[in-house]
Amino acid sequence: MKQMDLSIDFLGVHFENPFCLSSSPVGNCYEMCAKAFDTGWGGIVYKTLHTDDFVVDEVSPRFDELTKEATPFVAFKNMEQIAEHPLAQDLADITRLKKEHPNKIIIASIMGQNESNWTELARKVEEAGADMIEMNLSCPQMTSHAMGSDVGENPDLCCTCCAAVKRGSKLPVLAKMTPNITDMTEVAKACMEGGADGISAINTVKSIANVDLDRHIGMPIVNGKSAVSGLSGKAVKPISLRFIQQMRADPDLKDLPISGIGGIETWRDAAEYILMGATTLQVTTAVMQYGYRIVEDMKDGLSHYMRSQGVKSLSELVGLAVPNTLLADSLDRDFKVYPVIDTDKCIHCGRCYISCYDGAHQAIQWDPEERKVSIDKDKCVGCHLCRLVCPVHAISMDKPEMKPGRKGDPDKIVIEPKDVMYNLK
Amino acid sequence: MDDTYEQEWREGYTPATAMEEASRCLLCQDAPCSQDCPASTDPAKFIRSIRFLNEEGAVETIFENNALGDICARVCPTERYCQKGCSRTDIDHPIDIKGLQRYATDYAYDISMKVLEAGPDTGHSIAIVGSGPAALQAAASLRCFGHAVDIYERQPTPGGMLVHGIPAYRLPDDIVNRAISRVKELGATIHCDVSIGTGPNDDITIGQLLGKHDAVLLDPGLSEGKMLPIFKDNDNVKLAVDFLDEVRSSKGTMKVPDNVLVIGGGDVAMDVSTTLKKLGVPTVTDVIWECSCEFLASKEELDGAREMGVTLIDGYEPKEASGHQVTFKHRVIDSTLTISADLIILAVGQRADLDHLGVDLDLKGVEMAQEGPATSDPHIFVTGDIAQGDKTVVWAVRRGKEAAGAIDASLKGGE
Repeated sequence: MKQMDLSIDFLGVHFENPFCLSSSPVGNCYEMCAKAFDTGWGGIVYKTLHTDDFVVDEVSPRFDELTKEATPFVAFKNMEQIAEHPLAQDLADITRLKKEHPNKIIIASIMGQNESNWTELARKVEEAGADMIEMNLSCPQMTSHAMGSDVGENPDLCCTCCAAVKRGSKLPVLAKMTPNITDMTEVAKACMEGGADGISAINTVKSIANVDLDRHIGMPIVNGKSAVSGLSGKAVKPISLRFIQQMRADPDLKDLPISGIGGIETWRDAAEYILMGATTLQVTTAVMQYGYRIVEDMKDGLSHYMRSQGVKSLSELVGLAVPNTLLADSLDRDFKVYPVIDTDKCIHCGRCYISCYDGAHQAIQWDPEERKVSIDKDKCVGCHLCRLVCPVHAISMDKPEMKPGRKGDPDKIVIEPKDVMYNLK
Repeated sequence: MDDTYEQEWREGYTPATAMEEASRCLLCQDAPCSQDCPASTDPAKFIRSIRFLNEEGAVETIFENNALGDICARVCPTERYCQKGCSRTDIDHPIDIKGLQRYATDYAYDISMKVLEAGPDTGHSIAIVGSGPAALQAAASLRCFGHAVDIYERQPTPGGMLVHGIPAYRLPDDIVNRAISRVKELGATIHCDVSIGTGPNDDITIGQLLGKHDAVLLDPGLSEGKMLPIFKDNDNVKLAVDFLDEVRSSKGTMKVPDNVLVIGGGDVAMDVSTTLKKLGVPTVTDVIWECSCEFLASKEELDGAREMGVTLIDGYEPKEASGHQVTFKHRVIDSTLTISADLIILAVGQRADLDHLGVDLDLKGVEMAQEGPATSDPHIFVTGDIAQGDKTVVWAVRRGKEAAGAIDASLKGGE
């Protein structure tokens, strides 16, 4: 089946598809970026450039992973900083890449140490042929406190830096947010005030993923010690979606142009980011684990999704889920929906009973002779923990019922997802 | 395993279990699985699509390459092909590629997804004689090229070995019918009950077909069972192909005596033995010429026969037969074995029924002497089991594609 047109315009720049490499080890030189373009990525945020007076001196080893049961890379912790090549070399690579791939988009990530530094870098990357600039205000593992997330946590500094970049270049400018704050809208507003044209969110989350139990040191161990550094991958997706939704829902940031980042590895992740308000998408961790080739299924899957949604352009989907996300106190609390167990599907493992007893409201009864479960509606609060833990998806939602004394038509209540994440029915 | 003849013997994956299996895949560089399919299937790509939640993409990868992707997903001896080099084997056991292919193709059916599309009409027309898997694949490929296709089948139903040879528990009618519908929806016309040849029971000659069509593709199949001289004229002996066809036509209701001896060690012998057990025969003994280390049958087929309780005896060659009794001698050790049975079924090979066709084909044994689909007549091509190569469905698919490609090239050359 012919792939849909996945192109989208973002800050006046035309992307043939929304999938970009994020500024990181995956877009670190000409050869890597050329291979990524050939594999089908629409754009690349080139690994963060800086002036040569900042010397990048990396640790080894520098990565760690969070696992759960048999799943590797639930999250990924990394200590790498920014580009390790001389600036001139990276600028030459950008020029060559743009010349050889005129329809692909190159976003130059930059990080200055002071205002004039930011201005100079902005000017140079525009001269090199970049299509857009992304300001790295958010790397959490910089060896300088005048750089990275220490800047990104401070709205005033962000505003000043954005203004400095705009003085150096006419290119559209993205400010990349750190999630290591409580309220991202404040920083985003300061950046937009300083002249940024859009926001990239999020950079990595400060973390300690694992601790060695014999040496009593966090991982990775660097000659007997460790440090806090950024976490990425699937586990940070919910954190990023939350920040993006909050920015898009803020009346002062209405229709904020956003490049979404954090744990994207399938077309479903991509679609979720778009629905929550991202226009382009950036990926690193999944590429580090699986390679550039993951973009093939992301593009193909997104194309099938567009067809199923009956849209001709991805832009029609941007932000559709934002208004459906309310504050907790605004949700409808007048009804309850009970779980219902399909006894033909049930394999009598009792996991729902265990979780309901130990983690919920003791509303599932267990018959040890027959190994059968049943629901006690008097105790059930309709939390649906049982449904989530059932290994064979034998538990579904019953029809909603109004709570005693509450008004409403239960038939009009929307609860069932139309298309749950990886339809497991 | 379900014990009835018509019920598919292996359970399909659910989305959750398919994801578990796909997650076992190591997503290798230069994946060995994608280099070992006779029909050029790319398992590495479709498994990656399943892994990354792009089931539709997986379906496209399978069907764009193989119009019978759902059939291969059930009958392919994958341990000989794609699973042979699977890197996962070094950890535990290979990925169940066939099972994942079945999951994807079943999903396609569930959502009524169509992948193949007919090409723009070229004005050319091809007659295909026979409707086995190679013929069906060739028909699909030729329709994708835009050529008109007429299939002539002498049986009342199309499918060849898919419906007459392979038992229903391995390949249910529904699955074959899906594939046949797919070929029909692409625009191929299937004429059943039409026999091609110059014999007294034939309806149309190949010469007449050539008058109406630009090329003729022959897929006669190896439809006749081989007889061993010692069993000639023995009323207690049946040939495997005939037996399997009778059971399938009777929808598994055929009456069979209580003690049956099967002779042969290939997939057909396993099909016969397992079918007998599914029909409720208490004593099924299969005597195999090969030693156990040389068995020709696929692992799945052997396992299936063993699970059903078939007695397998290896290394014996039949030497004498009289009435219900057969005497075997071991090929290596000094041992004689005499077995009496109510019925003896021979699964010792097949041959093509070509005499009535009225064409001169240069055969060597049961196969064409030369590789490839061409014959000495530039307008006549061959495909299916009489062409060189393994006698499996996946090879039939390969040969069907090759024949379609050769015909397309010859028609283009003539323009």
